[in-house]
Amino acid sequence: MTSGKILIIGGGPAGMEAARCVAELGGEAIVIEKRGRLGGTPDSERYAKLTHHWRDASEAMEELASAVRNSANVEVKYLAEVKGFSGSDGDFTVEIEADGKAETHNVGAVIVATGFQHFDPGRATQYYNYYSFADVITISDLEKMLKENKVVRPSNGETPKRIAFIQCVGSRDRQIGNEYCSKVCCGVASKQAIELREQISDSKVFIFYIDMRMYGYWEPEIYWPAQEKYKVNFVKGVISEVLPKGNQLLIRGEDTTMSRPMEVVMDLVVLSVGMEPSAGTRAVAQQLGIKQNKYGFVEAGGTSGIDPVSTSRPGIFVAGAASGPSDLDDSFAQAGLAAARAVASVRRVMA
Amino acid sequence: MAVKFKKTTAIELEHAVIDGVDISGHWSRMFEQRVIFEYTPELIEKITGLPDAESFANCYQCAKCVAVCPVDIVGDYGPRKLYKHAQTGTDLMKSPDLWLCTTCSNCLRVCPKEVNMIKIMPAAREQAILDGNFVPQELQDAFENTAKSGNPLGQPQRKRDAWIQSAGVPVPIIKDLARPVDVLWYVGSYPSYHPRNIAAAVAAARIFSVLGIDFAILGKEEKDDADTQRLAGEKGLFEMMSEYNIQTFNKYEWKEMVVTGPHELNAFKNIYPKFGFEGSVLHYTTFLARYLEQLKPLLKHEVKLKVTYHDPCYLGRHNEEYEAPRKLLEAIPGVELVEMPRNRENGYCCGGGGGGMWMDSFSGQHIKMRLSDKRAMEAASTGANILAVACPFEVTRFEDAVKSTGNEHVGVLDILELLDRSMRGE
Repeated sequence: MTSGKILIIGGGPAGMEAARCVAELGGEAIVIEKRGRLGGTPDSERYAKLTHHWRDASEAMEELASAVRNSANVEVKYLAEVKGFSGSDGDFTVEIEADGKAETHNVGAVIVATGFQHFDPGRATQYYNYYSFADVITISDLEKMLKENKVVRPSNGETPKRIAFIQCVGSRDRQIGNEYCSKVCCGVASKQAIELREQISDSKVFIFYIDMRMYGYWEPEIYWPAQEKYKVNFVKGVISEVLPKGNQLLIRGEDTTMSRPMEVVMDLVVLSVGMEPSAGTRAVAQQLGIKQNKYGFVEAGGTSGIDPVSTSRPGIFVAGAASGPSDLDDSFAQAGLAAARAVASVRRVMA
Repeated sequence: MAVKFKKTTAIELEHAVIDGVDISGHWSRMFEQRVIFEYTPELIEKITGLPDAESFANCYQCAKCVAVCPVDIVGDYGPRKLYKHAQTGTDLMKSPDLWLCTTCSNCLRVCPKEVNMIKIMPAAREQAILDGNFVPQELQDAFENTAKSGNPLGQPQRKRDAWIQSAGVPVPIIKDLARPVDVLWYVGSYPSYHPRNIAAAVAAARIFSVLGIDFAILGKEEKDDADTQRLAGEKGLFEMMSEYNIQTFNKYEWKEMVVTGPHELNAFKNIYPKFGFEGSVLHYTTFLARYLEQLKPLLKHEVKLKVTYHDPCYLGRHNEEYEAPRKLLEAIPGVELVEMPRNRENGYCCGGGGGGMWMDSFSGQHIKMRLSDKRAMEAASTGANILAVACPFEVTRFEDAVKSTGNEHVGVLDILELLDRSMRGE
């Protein structure tokens, strides 16, 4: 039996925006979210500020979440996951378990918005010693501390005065298998560097990079202020070793602008870990029988190459970081497009 | 007995020759590269904290400036490098690099981040002077001469208008004239005093006279504009001199001021207004180009020369006058104008600006050839017989340079001298 309902898998930024758009277009959506609340990674990893407009992440996510929760056209299933999936475009049957109960739904189209997870720095081929040294942390660890306005060295609870970001950890690396650029880490590190300089005014903050990829407006909105106003030091040449030195960390690399080796002592080292497909993205892609690319992300673009939200199966769409590294702007834009395509798709089969 | 062993200190020579043996290449790799043990953002902030020097913080190391920096072309320099050196331990205010910039503005022309060395350098130099850091002696002398005598050459004030005796035409002094004039001609220190530059002043006087221009000069009341001293770091001296000059300019009635030199143009047109001066100021090339149709019939004699024109930084890039000098040269019958590869907006610097005029011995220790030498070679390579200039700094610099680079066959003349020749047929 054909259905006009649209299933949205994932209640993060892309899933919430897709649900909101489906509702605005007069469609009906069921959102299934594995956690007990909406908000996705910005919420679960306690993001501090968003890169655009420096909005408080919780506030911005709550704005979206309440729009979804309060919509008469959207039903949200919490603590829910897909258990079975069959059918074809316009007539899919999905078995879910929501809050311990099994349910079956008939839907006309699906939007996959299952997101990403951060690269595990333990897998890095360089000696970054994330699991050995307390003061080697990731951008997500730092984000939580920035949100609390209490950045400390985990080893001793003291305020760090010398902080280094190491870019491209787990990205652009053939050996690791993540050959792609994770797109957001340059912007996120620069944003966090600004927040560090605001929160710890006597700190020295360094970003060691291969090349800064501040696409679009991140250049004037984040990168330039970081350097010009907040005096963040950008050094070309990425770090390849983090070694203990007293109770500090010795970072070693090459300053490629100077063609000279560098060995500099830091209090805190922040790894700019990239994006990988989340466990949910991998599992859902399998259950739905949609193609994944060699990195495990949902393959988007279809055969035309000009439809960034289509998947290999008609009636199934993808939005956000489930199809590859994506910032919030990209995710929202894709979510809107996926919603439009899904609504059009169910209207076509219902007609 | 322990062998005495002295470790060799690290060197970073690209080409090393010791006692006639070339040890370049892999030999020198036996010496370790110096490790960067510390970054020094505080040395960047020391500069960005100075008034008007904030833009030093903007450099993102794209290095567009380096390729067009005239000092880098004959050495190892450029704003990008200054930033990086500050980040890795060099205090610019104590480095010889502080004195090498000629404020030619070619870096700023190409800089995507608007790092403004024209503002940064004077600020950093001023601070270095205040801190009692090293200042090249020649530059100190120029400062002292200006303070004592009113001109960087150290010539007596009472002889400032002595040159008019050789003009062969009346050169009225505005004080004696005791009436308003159309044009106040600010002659400038070098055309007033320097034996070689007086020729341009004399030529200008004759041209103005033939054209029937109602002009006068300040005579013994004229003092150096001191803007180049400001760019070299002596802001206090500049303020003193500019105050005197503005008072002097305001004593008389005139419609327009014409200057012989581009540095004076920049001073009176762009800098003095910040200190209260009001008035229309023109470089002589712009002024004479206005009289082009009247000039043409007066340029009676053919001057059969292949001429290449050097754009002065302060006439071109700083004040965007590229066409008037060329129009004047093209109006001279017989002149064939050829361009050097670097011209107009990308014109190469003679090395005289920003105090470079007074630091040739010092900067010579930090570059492989003078900028004027480099430019003289470029001029010679066009096949020109004459290198035409429009800035008093340049005549002597380039006459020296054509000799030191073996290009004596290339003459150096101010455009004024060429116009005068064509009028008089010498």
